[in-house]
Amino acid sequence: MIANFFKNFFGKKNESKNVAKQRLKFALIYDHLEVTEDILEALHRDMVEVISKYFEIDQEAFKLDIRRSDELSALVVNTPILSAKRKKKQVQPDPT
Amino acid sequence: MDGKIIVVTSGKGGVGKTTATASIGAALALEGKKVAVVDMDIGLRNLDVVMGLENRIVFNIVDAVKGRCKLKQAAIKDRRIDNLFLIPASQSDNKNALDPEEMVRFSSMLRRHFDFVFMDCPAGIERGFENSVAAADEALVICTPEVASVRDADRVIGLLYARSITPKLVVNRIVPALVERGDMLSHVDMVDVLSIELIGLVEMDDQVVVSTNTGVPLVMQNTSKAGAAFRRIAMRLNGHVDLPIQVPEASGGLFRKFRSKFGRSR
Repeated sequence: MIANFFKNFFGKKNESKNVAKQRLKFALIYDHLEVTEDILEALHRDMVEVISKYFEIDQEAFKLDIRRSDELSALVVNTPILSAKRKKKQVQPDPT
Repeated sequence: MDGKIIVVTSGKGGVGKTTATASIGAALALEGKKVAVVDMDIGLRNLDVVMGLENRIVFNIVDAVKGRCKLKQAAIKDRRIDNLFLIPASQSDNKNALDPEEMVRFSSMLRRHFDFVFMDCPAGIERGFENSVAAADEALVICTPEVASVRDADRVIGLLYARSITPKLVVNRIVPALVERGDMLSHVDMVDVLSIELIGLVEMDDQVVVSTNTGVPLVMQNTSKAGAAFRRIAMRLNGHVDLPIQVPEASGGLFRKFRSKFGRSR
């Protein structure tokens, strides 16, 4: 009992609730990042469309991914560029 | 009357939703409000046994919603506590017997007859949950200080926010000695993780088992710490919003008191 007292008195490190809290925080971050397939597909479509305005891209090879690590999560987009669409200016409304 | 519909939910099962519903409902009725507690767990009813009213069921919520009986016939009056009514679940139907639209219609009728209506939500986030929250004005999320319960609570809180309901947290089954030792999440930890407003802290209490064994409402037992905590939650719901939230403390021996002098206890 005395040993336990000193252990508690001098350090909080091995309190199991701190482990629980830390695990929960990470679990919830992951939970909140969970996106349905539908949303990912819609995002995929939209991004291909937007990027295609500026670059000629290989639409087949376009990759969209959510990557998670302990510290942070990231949306990783990877696409081969075939060429830039330099000559095209902003789309003008048809004067007719 | 323009009553409030309050859903009692948790996500995870077995954390004390039904006990909380029965206790808070009974406490509000003791305060003089007209209260209905509704068992939304269609097919697995148990609010009736917890309240000791299982022998008096004739009609149930499905009958009332489908118009097979009048509201008055489905609402069982508690003979020990004035103004307390139970609307039991159906035992033979399945969860799809009701849908959210029907519940919204039924709830507007409940609002006219009662000051407070508590929906005892089944575990899970399927149809039973949808039906329970369909017409809710407010929500109580019951959560025990365990990782599984907190995680499920977070999920449910997200679903409630998506329906523009701002839930309040009841931390149930706190063991103060474990919290003090650092082996149980404290309510501070839980509020921190869930970012939600607290409405009550309920200590682990053997009296809950006794109460459900006998079917005598917990809040009628003066010695019950959990009962007292549920009564305070009821008072907060009844407009006493400033009533301070009491943090359960381990009944202290000399040693613990000595330790708390050194600032180790919360």
